[in-house]
Amino acid sequence: MQLAVEGEEKMSIVPKETIEVIAQSIGITNLSPEAALMLAPDVEYRVREIMQEAIKCMRHSKRTTLTASDVDGALNLRNLEPIYGFGSGGPIRFRKAIGHRDLFYTDDREVDFKDVIEAPLPKAPLDTEIVCHWLAIEGVQPAIPENAPLEVIRAPAENQIYQQKDGPLIDIRLPVKHVLSKELQLYFQKIAELTLSKSNPSLFKEALVSLASDSGLHPLVPYFTNFIADEVSRGLNDFLLLFNLMHVVRSLLQNPHIHIEPYLHQLMPSVVTCLVSRKLGNRFADNHWDLRDFTANLVALICKRFGNTYITLQSRLTKTLVNALLDPKKALTQHYGAIQGLAALGHNVVRLLVLSNLEPYLSLLEPELDAEKQKNQMKSYEAWRVYGAILRAAGLCIHDRLKIFPTLPSPSPSFPSKGKGKVISTEPNKRKLGVDSSENRSPHKRLIATDGSDGGPSPMQVDRPTGDANPPQNSVRPSSSEQASDGNAPESRNAKEKDDSKGRAITRKAILDQIWKDDLDSGRLLVKLHQLYGDRILPFIPSTEMSLFL
Amino acid sequence: MDPEQVDEFVMGYLKKKGFNSAAKHLQESLHNNNGSSFSSIDYPNDPELTKLIRSFSQSENDPSRYREGYSKLRSWGYNSLDLYKHELLRVMYPVFIHCYMDLVGKGHTQEARSFFNSFRKDHEMVHLRDLQKLGGVLAPSHLQEMEFARSLRQSKINIKICQYSYDLLIQYLHRTESTLMLGIINEHINFQVYSGQPNSASDDIEAVTIVGSFHETADHVNQKEIHWGLLEDSLEDRLEKTGGLLSDSEKGQGESKAGDDSKKRSAEIGKQGSSTKKLKKDKAGTATTKVARQETSTVLSSMPRVKPELAMPVMSTDVEESILEDLRNRVQLSSVAMPSVSFYTFVNTHNGLNSSSISHDGSLVAGGFSDSSIKVWDMAKIGQAGSCALQDDNNQIVGKNGRRNYTLLVGHSGPVYSATFSPPGDYVLSSSADTTIRLWSTKLNANLVCYKGHNHTVWDAQFSPFGHYFASCSHDRTARIWSMDRMQPLRMMAGHLSDVDCVQWHPNCNYIATGSSDKTVRLWDVQTGECVRIFIGHRSMVLSLAMSPDGRYMASGDEDGTIMMWDLSTARCITPLMGHNSCVWTLSYSGEGSLLASGSADCTVKLWDVSSSTKLTKAEEKNGNSNRLRSIRTFPTKSTPVHALRFSRRNLLFAAGAVSKHSS
Repeated sequence: MQLAVEGEEKMSIVPKETIEVIAQSIGITNLSPEAALMLAPDVEYRVREIMQEAIKCMRHSKRTTLTASDVDGALNLRNLEPIYGFGSGGPIRFRKAIGHRDLFYTDDREVDFKDVIEAPLPKAPLDTEIVCHWLAIEGVQPAIPENAPLEVIRAPAENQIYQQKDGPLIDIRLPVKHVLSKELQLYFQKIAELTLSKSNPSLFKEALVSLASDSGLHPLVPYFTNFIADEVSRGLNDFLLLFNLMHVVRSLLQNPHIHIEPYLHQLMPSVVTCLVSRKLGNRFADNHWDLRDFTANLVALICKRFGNTYITLQSRLTKTLVNALLDPKKALTQHYGAIQGLAALGHNVVRLLVLSNLEPYLSLLEPELDAEKQKNQMKSYEAWRVYGAILRAAGLCIHDRLKIFPTLPSPSPSFPSKGKGKVISTEPNKRKLGVDSSENRSPHKRLIATDGSDGGPSPMQVDRPTGDANPPQNSVRPSSSEQASDGNAPESRNAKEKDDSKGRAITRKAILDQIWKDDLDSGRLLVKLHQLYGDRILPFIPSTEMSLFL
Repeated sequence: MDPEQVDEFVMGYLKKKGFNSAAKHLQESLHNNNGSSFSSIDYPNDPELTKLIRSFSQSENDPSRYREGYSKLRSWGYNSLDLYKHELLRVMYPVFIHCYMDLVGKGHTQEARSFFNSFRKDHEMVHLRDLQKLGGVLAPSHLQEMEFARSLRQSKINIKICQYSYDLLIQYLHRTESTLMLGIINEHINFQVYSGQPNSASDDIEAVTIVGSFHETADHVNQKEIHWGLLEDSLEDRLEKTGGLLSDSEKGQGESKAGDDSKKRSAEIGKQGSSTKKLKKDKAGTATTKVARQETSTVLSSMPRVKPELAMPVMSTDVEESILEDLRNRVQLSSVAMPSVSFYTFVNTHNGLNSSSISHDGSLVAGGFSDSSIKVWDMAKIGQAGSCALQDDNNQIVGKNGRRNYTLLVGHSGPVYSATFSPPGDYVLSSSADTTIRLWSTKLNANLVCYKGHNHTVWDAQFSPFGHYFASCSHDRTARIWSMDRMQPLRMMAGHLSDVDCVQWHPNCNYIATGSSDKTVRLWDVQTGECVRIFIGHRSMVLSLAMSPDGRYMASGDEDGTIMMWDLSTARCITPLMGHNSCVWTLSYSGEGSLLASGSADCTVKLWDVSSSTKLTKAEEKNGNSNRLRSIRTFPTKSTPVHALRFSRRNLLFAAGAVSKHSS
């Protein structure tokens, strides 16, 4: 037994035992083990030989599955009697023996003779036929049921083309495909979900940080721009959604790894919509002013970053905004947005476009401001809001003008507080909604006065009440607006200072002339503004200048 | 013979017989007589002596020495320098199989088996099929019986090896005194040492394919010259002449480039035609100039023309007219202008369809069945009836009026392995396992002749391009040429080492090509019956052949799905066309030879741009750059392996195959 196992492993596929069993089955009982051992390799050789011939028969029958008839054919080739009883026509179905890795058997059930006899006659087999169809017409496979389904065609065909990408003769152009990785798709889905859901502000903040800092998001930019454009046009009534979307835009703009320029043209309309749309969210419940402020800064950011590469960007934008501002038919909310947008674009823009139109505009606004004439409180509130915005724009502009005096060092520490002061000056207006407008003005003035004197700390206090209805974005907003206004001023100042030092080196006189000229201009402007605004402009004027001019 | 050697023989004999003490005595006396006779002989430089010593040492009869020697050689080979390694490893395979066969031959079956199993992995990648065959060899008698083994034993294997590799090998064998390995190498390997750097591992396929004794003869055979040009005054030529005139009259001067071209061509042909009369006298002399001209004039569209060596049948004028008409209406195909493919699907074949073929005009389809019958469908008739038959499927399956709509040809007594049409479509030629070839008339629907001659199953039979003559090939390893009017074959082509599986005529009728299970394709001269080319390169049985219409190239498809393009004049493979992953059953060139269609068991028809492949390789041959990007279109069928393909004369592609239901 031991020997047999060894033999099986070492010798051949056909073990000695098989020979013995076969011998017994044909009536040879006294086969010596040596004879069996000798026969086994020969049996294997013969079996292999038959199989080799059977494979030839199979190939010539144009098949790839070996059948019993092929083996019969092989036996015939060797002049041997075929083995009868297996010719079924089809390939034999093998079943795996349970518990053995490579042992198979044919499922040969015992059939009762009676059943066979009693069974109805089988149907006559169908006769061979030929069906004709077009496999291809001039190289293109028609989509007919006789051909393989198109999906099946597409896949290998594409592989084909990819394989021969560099073949010079193949002139097949595939539609350009944008392949997004699974991860990116998931990321986009998640961000979109967060933007739409509005239920998880902390998570959304995290997402914004990720959007603003992660590299490798560039493939998603077209999807984001699309998404933003779609959602803005769809969700003009959904204030929070709009705010979220604008935050997404800002984050995208901030991301240093994203090259967003090519998609600006898609992005700008949505952004401008959020700035000057008649209606953003619920008119009463939502603080759409904040959204407009935020968007104004966004617009300024875009112009600053891409103004050089897109020369027409700013001019087109300002044109849109000025049109919105000067159209009396437009709603006050739109005016507000336009003013904020223009203000964010810088003082030069304000001076050129707003201040020049200030007089007629204020006269237009005048009736709205008057509480007696305008019964609609909402309208009057809006008017005051616009008034505040325009005042702030003009004030900041004049402040900047005045600060360019080189001879008079501007009190820089007081400057930021002024910036805040202006914010505050507009805030109370809203709070005193129910109060009479005449009364409204006095606390307003008072507040400014106190604010102007004691500087920094107060804004926080004043700010808090405004945050009544709004989620945490509010806390972000003032600081951002402060930064923006802060950022603008020092820059221009620096430039001027540089100019100054250079100018000083050349000729002091020329510069002095220039300064006087500017001075006069500024003076004139200031006077004009003072005429229009009265004392309200005063907090914007640095104390030193104030002493000079007033 | 030296007395010393006689002494050695005696000693070997004594040892073998177990007379050890006697041998010892003899050795002692020998030593006493004249020093050490062994060491004084410089055996490695004398193959004869080496052999002798080997036979002497063999008398020790220790089977483990083979394993030891081979494994040492192997590990040495694998540890040799990278640059020369592939050359040295090439030596391993012949050594391996001969070690094995030596062991088997001496009756050490067990050792042989274990030796084989422990090292076969090394060679499986390249020589899997050979190893499968050899694996069954277990007794000395098998070695005698098996053709493959016998041819291996009798022949020497040529191995090209660079000088340094050769030196390395010899040095190693000397140093280790592995006389056994040295003996095997000397006996069975014929080194062709060349100077310089070793070849890159991949570039010579020939070293990889070791097939019997003809390797050395293959080079010799392939030196013979052949004239692959088309027949002079062929129909194509006549068409070009008339077509040239036609195009001249039809087209204006504006875009007469094509017209000019064909005019030029016809003029040249005219010249050639007149000169051939002279050529007839000194055939031998002009043959060489023709070959030379072939090389130079390939750029020109005018191909060399040759005289037919067989008496050609006369073609009736109406047949000629219809062919000319077809040629005139031929669609020009290229990689941009694809053909339309009409597919004939056999249904309800019950796995019985062995072969199918389509007539040149696509109107007749024949199937050869394993139940010995042949069925011929007239597609033109079915097409007419089709409009009404398609409406109710039952009717169609039963056929019109309950009659089957094919012609049943009964006569064979064994599975029919081929059924092909004569070029005009008036005859069907069938070959069968009953060793006969039968000729049937499609007009009379009756058997005309039964050709007996082959000793075994006839795998394939093909009419010549002009009819009348046909070639057959068989399991008896011969191919034969017949003419319709004779019962006996005209020529027998013997030389293949295994079944001849397919046969194809050269367009000029002077040659036939045969593909065989010995993995080679041979080209035979019909007139002399000589083998004029051997094409070595396939890794498995060759199943299909096609000749390009210009007679210059040949395509062959094998069991693995590889298609090879051969240049007939150089017998070199231009490029392997990879893409199919199963047997390539059929190949067909388009009418002007720009496209090759292949049909495979993987249920696809592929189109290959062969015009670019031949041009590109000519340019890129020098760069050694082979590009395989020539499959231009793949048409998958609905689980129908493609059995037959035929480009009609108008360049419509017909395909046929039987639906196989279990393919999924």
